[in-house]
Amino acid sequence: MTTRAEFLGRIRTQMGRTPGLFPAEPSARPARPRERLEVLRRELSERWRENLERFRHEFERVGGVLHRVTDAAEAPGAIARIAAERGLHRVVAWHGDALGLDVAAPLTARGLEATAAPAVEVPVAERERRRALAAAADLGVTGVDLAIAETGTLVVISGAGRPRSASLLPACHVAVFDRDALVESLLHAGLALEAWHEGTPPEGRGASINFITGPSRTADIELTLTRGVHGPKEVHAVFVERGLVRRHG
Amino acid sequence: MSEAPPATPLRERAGRALKDTFLQEALTIATTKFIDLRREAFDEFPEGEALRDRARAIKEATLQGLDHYLGLLIDNVERRGGHVHYATTAEEARQIVLDIARSTDARMAVKSKSMATEEIHLNSALEAAGVTPVETDLGEYIIQLAHERPSHIIAPAIHKTKGQVAELFARELKRETVPDPEVLTRIARAELREKFLQADIGISGANFGVAETGTIVLVTNEGNGRMVTSLPRVHVAVMGVEKVIPSMTDLAVFLAILAKSATGQKLSVYTSLVNGPRRGGELEGPEEFHLVLLDNGRIRQIAGPLREALYCLRCGACLNVCPVYRQIGGHAYGYTYPGPIGILLTAMLNGPESVKDLAHASSLCGACADACPVRIDIPKMLIELRRDVGERRIAPWPERVVFGGFGRLLQRPALYRLAARTGRVLQRPFVSRGAIRRLPLFFGDWTRTRDLPPIAARTFQERWADLEREGHR
Repeated sequence: MTTRAEFLGRIRTQMGRTPGLFPAEPSARPARPRERLEVLRRELSERWRENLERFRHEFERVGGVLHRVTDAAEAPGAIARIAAERGLHRVVAWHGDALGLDVAAPLTARGLEATAAPAVEVPVAERERRRALAAAADLGVTGVDLAIAETGTLVVISGAGRPRSASLLPACHVAVFDRDALVESLLHAGLALEAWHEGTPPEGRGASINFITGPSRTADIELTLTRGVHGPKEVHAVFVERGLVRRHG
Repeated sequence: MSEAPPATPLRERAGRALKDTFLQEALTIATTKFIDLRREAFDEFPEGEALRDRARAIKEATLQGLDHYLGLLIDNVERRGGHVHYATTAEEARQIVLDIARSTDARMAVKSKSMATEEIHLNSALEAAGVTPVETDLGEYIIQLAHERPSHIIAPAIHKTKGQVAELFARELKRETVPDPEVLTRIARAELREKFLQADIGISGANFGVAETGTIVLVTNEGNGRMVTSLPRVHVAVMGVEKVIPSMTDLAVFLAILAKSATGQKLSVYTSLVNGPRRGGELEGPEEFHLVLLDNGRIRQIAGPLREALYCLRCGACLNVCPVYRQIGGHAYGYTYPGPIGILLTAMLNGPESVKDLAHASSLCGACADACPVRIDIPKMLIELRRDVGERRIAPWPERVVFGGFGRLLQRPALYRLAARTGRVLQRPFVSRGAIRRLPLFFGDWTRTRDLPPIAARTFQERWADLEREGHR
């Protein structure tokens, strides 16, 4: 078996034989990305209306549906309406702290079978049970760590209380967000990624970050666009105007 | 060499493709659609051109510091609890994956679309070792059921009709169905959902490996990449060494151009960043994460003639615009990687001898270089490969004699004039309706599929001399 030393040694030998094709540098990285991101968020909060409009336009282009509510307390009602219109009953959701509001209780009160993910480590058997629950669910509720206006993309970080399956296994995904999550471009998202990876990760941070741009799709049979091949067939985003009580991932 | 050469010659493979009327239609529709979507995406994105230059510079800069960036990637993957393996050959890569499967007692592996695992022919090795590999990208799933190979880097089953897929599902899955893509997709979803939940091991490729953070990045539209990296208890990613990039800032640059080049989307549906195994508090995620770094002919090209091909993002844009690919499709190339970039990658993986015919399967029109998001000069490397094939005496001897002689002629003006005068006389029996349509002996190979313009009655040199005499200069 090849070792690290041999492998990198051979690379070094080859590198020594050529100066390369032209002088080139990788991208300049921000020095203190967390600070830069905070500054950016403050700047962007002035323009949230334009960015939300652009997000809506792009999100709809990729097949997403945007809903708007004024107050966080109205979000469960909006989710329940989406479920009712489609005859969906079983809901899995992020933990209330991760989401910025508790949806399991109000959804249960509206007659849905809703469960929220635990915010702490649980034993294997419980993880298995939760996975089966998510696999059987027909609607998943998540928060949003970043909403990219340029591409209509929702970015979610996994972690404690933030199961990956909620945005993946059910056929319908509903994401709840507010103006804090809005950025303009992929290059802004690059800054956020730098910030999230700066220093030691916070307690409860998971190992997976997903950029979600519309419902799961394929064109593998005669280039016919078909939705919901493995992931959700529908993606909804509920925008809460007055904001969520958010805890950043 | 890692891949067996095709059983039939290129001319025969291409001939078969040209006679396949469905394939011809499918290729025209698919490639034209991809070209239009790509153009629209970049038309709407004025900063795209500058970002392509930036992306190209990042690829070159990474190669100039490859040992450093790979070292950083390895350290960071290990710091996050992942294991890193080093595969010099395809054989070694297969062995590493089999060892992981054995040590974790795996019976079934779900795979997300990966050209790297195609390249090392992992599936047959897994099967032989008693591990059932299940391709989960819909296109890959279809061709796996049909026991075929991908015909396009990003649309592996474009050569199949919905009718053929329906027949395939009826035969292999015992599911009678109408030939409707929507229904067929629903059947595949149900079949594969079970596999995702049962599988012991998830195997993926990697679109990028981010050195500074130890992150593996997967880009998919269907969501199978997310399934494969989240549901099974073990995740193995097989990554060519050239896929490493320095930072998240660089990643954003590539994401901004990758999907636009491939499918014309602003971004593919899912971009998944994998930071090693499941962390405390998470409900899902693998308990083990393995990264297999793959050489398989790449490392010797760092200082080799195919260095620039190491920039490739595997977007497939060069296939769609290539007049040869558009006619013959992916299978006719005979190796894992089709299209213009595929010829270079085949030479990289299997040595220049493997492309002695393929090196000529290009019109050198340059459309590939224009479409390439990182502006790889594919035609230049194809010409170098042709020269290499000539110098190594791999080309057929009549071709070597004729082109060698022609080369010497061009360097001697007097001899050239003499040859033109003689040729004018000698060609007479072969000229009909203004062209040389059939040559004798082995020269006949040349004229079998094309005409040759005859030597002009008066050469350019002679006419130029006339013009000078008449004072037109």
